[in-house]
Amino acid sequence: MAQSLAKEFTKGLWAEIPPFRLVLGLCPVLAVTKSVENGIGMGVATTFVLVFSNLLISLLRNVIPSKVRIACFIVIIATFVTIVELVMQAYTYELFLKLGIFIPLIVVNCIVLGRAEAFASKNSPVLSVADGLGIGIGFTLSLAALGAVRELLGNGTITIWGGTPVFEMGANFLPFQFMIEAPGAFVGLGLMLCLMNLIGKK
Amino acid sequence: MREMISMIVVLTVLTAVSGGLLAAVKSGTEVQIENQILKFQKAPAIQDIFPEATNDPLAERFTITAEDISLQIFPTKMADGSNAIVFETKGKGGYGGDVGLMIGINLETDQIVGARVTTHAETPGLGARAKDDPEFVSQFADQPIDANLALKNDSGTIDAMSGATITSKAVTLAAIQAQELYQKLKPEIVKQMK
Amino acid sequence: MNNIKLTVSHAPFWHDGDSLFQMNLNIMIATLPVVIFAIIQFGAPAFGVLSLSLSSAMIWELIMNLVSKKRISIGDLNSAVIGLLFGMMLPATSPWWLIVTGTFVAVVLGKMIFGGIGSNPFNPTLVGMAFLMLSWKVFFDFDAAYVNYDFDFTALAPLAALKLQGAAAVTDLFPLGDLIMGRQVGAIGATFGLGLIIGGIYLILRGYIRWEISVSFILGIIVTAYCFKLANPEIYAGPMIHLFSGYTLMGAFFLATEHSSSPANRIPMFIYGFCAALMIILMRNIGVYADGTVLAILLLNLVNPLIDTIRPKTLGKGGNNA
Repeated sequence: MAQSLAKEFTKGLWAEIPPFRLVLGLCPVLAVTKSVENGIGMGVATTFVLVFSNLLISLLRNVIPSKVRIACFIVIIATFVTIVELVMQAYTYELFLKLGIFIPLIVVNCIVLGRAEAFASKNSPVLSVADGLGIGIGFTLSLAALGAVRELLGNGTITIWGGTPVFEMGANFLPFQFMIEAPGAFVGLGLMLCLMNLIGKK
Repeated sequence: MREMISMIVVLTVLTAVSGGLLAAVKSGTEVQIENQILKFQKAPAIQDIFPEATNDPLAERFTITAEDISLQIFPTKMADGSNAIVFETKGKGGYGGDVGLMIGINLETDQIVGARVTTHAETPGLGARAKDDPEFVSQFADQPIDANLALKNDSGTIDAMSGATITSKAVTLAAIQAQELYQKLKPEIVKQMK
Repeated sequence: MNNIKLTVSHAPFWHDGDSLFQMNLNIMIATLPVVIFAIIQFGAPAFGVLSLSLSSAMIWELIMNLVSKKRISIGDLNSAVIGLLFGMMLPATSPWWLIVTGTFVAVVLGKMIFGGIGSNPFNPTLVGMAFLMLSWKVFFDFDAAYVNYDFDFTALAPLAALKLQGAAAVTDLFPLGDLIMGRQVGAIGATFGLGLIIGGIYLILRGYIRWEISVSFILGIIVTAYCFKLANPEIYAGPMIHLFSGYTLMGAFFLATEHSSSPANRIPMFIYGFCAALMIILMRNIGVYADGTVLAILLLNLVNPLIDTIRPKTLGKGGNNA
């Protein structure tokens, strides 16, 4: 049991790390990774939704009739997303302003629904929570990594939390503005996918 | 038949529970969110409209109720000593719901001093420019209170933002609503401020 | 008799027995008049920019060959051409890191990612340029780039001046002779109009580029610019200024004609060249960019597969032959 628990948890960190291996949930990946801070905020919000929706769906998996399961999943996921939105609005308002419309869009993030359908509806609550947590942390790490590349090249800073950069390039650095723009997200994601495949092949 | 009933029951219970849960969370966070909006949206907007206010509009805010309307008013003293007020109205029909507009009106001259968009959920880069780029709302500045603030398309005087007509319309609706409210409530407001 | 229908794909098979090496070498020979002129005019910095651009482009291709464990392909000189054209589009004062980043984008993201020579949907040189122009606009302000130079002609970039002041104010500053003879401020390889035309005609005569694209391109510039001038001569400059300033002639002979990103049939070639030129003038006269050549040709690269579907019926297909 402990072994499979560890397996379900760690698979989200490398073997099935969401945007890079599963290539799922690309909308927030492309949209919010202008800085590390935004990436982490989005990742944490998604992780919260993933863990709790996985838990609840796994608990209810024998009750939910299979014909309306997608509707039930969406209701559960939407509930948690709205909770996240309200809580973020109440306590981290500045981050909420930056992530804006992408928080409600977690509802349709295919990672969340994908894990509910593919994993939580077939496995025990403990395993589902481990799965949700692993995938969520993997998602957060990927967003932070892409955010770091884009922020460093496009703005010359690294901001982990709270708006003050922990690292700044020298004054002579001329930001590579392209990376902050939308096409920079596609190119950055593509290059990271390429790098992951290069490492993964060995 | 059994399956049918179970489907209905499960979905009903699920939505009912989630609705209850959300209502609880919402009422739990309401005050806090109100404070945050005051701090991050309304305060900067007031600061933008009245950069030289000599009092603290946030601290002196009051609510008036007349004819089942309740309106939060931020009284301001302008640099030249005249009294002004700021209040927020909601324009209906933006892409992502209502668009909040803070509007500042000089009580002595009945002129609009300025306006700023506050809360909104418009598309970044298109509708959201109403807030990020003050050029659009600057059209409201220095207009008399009975000016026609509709969009040019609706035979008014305001130019819509290119590519964001729907948002522009919502903002002008908020401005028009503000004009009506002001004209209706002005005696009440003046009384309260004395 | 058997009933097998033999479907033969229609031409284009442009082939004259030359190797890629010879083709690319000839393209580089065609740029020689412009390059030599630029080195005389802008001095050693221009030579430095061109050499670094050319060599770094080849090194990036070599690195990609090694990383992807493919046959080493720099011998066909394709990346050298990309690097050379890339250098010709930069101002002579570009810093080294700008050039190296640009050739990385051009060769790696513009060409090697798609599978190397012949597989790139966009002109690699232009992909690199577009990246740089979106990121570091400052370096493409030609007025600022040559502030330390002492020219004996109008030291203003024609297109930027045009955008800023309108045609009526600037037309007299740029006599046509000056523009043609390269007496203007601009990118290293784009100022000497006569040299570009000589190079272009050489390539057309040798058959390395298709005359249809170049001619329709130039025609497009002239027609569109003339229409604008008719509409409002105060604001819009005439066709000759547009033709001999900015990247227009480079576009006509060296950029729009890049083989894998341009059409292969005759009618599409005309459409492609004309539309690219049309877009350039639209961007210059109406858009925000002073020179839209880079983005206009990239745009036409994008729709190229679509226009290239206009082609003759394949032999043996179609209704009326058994």
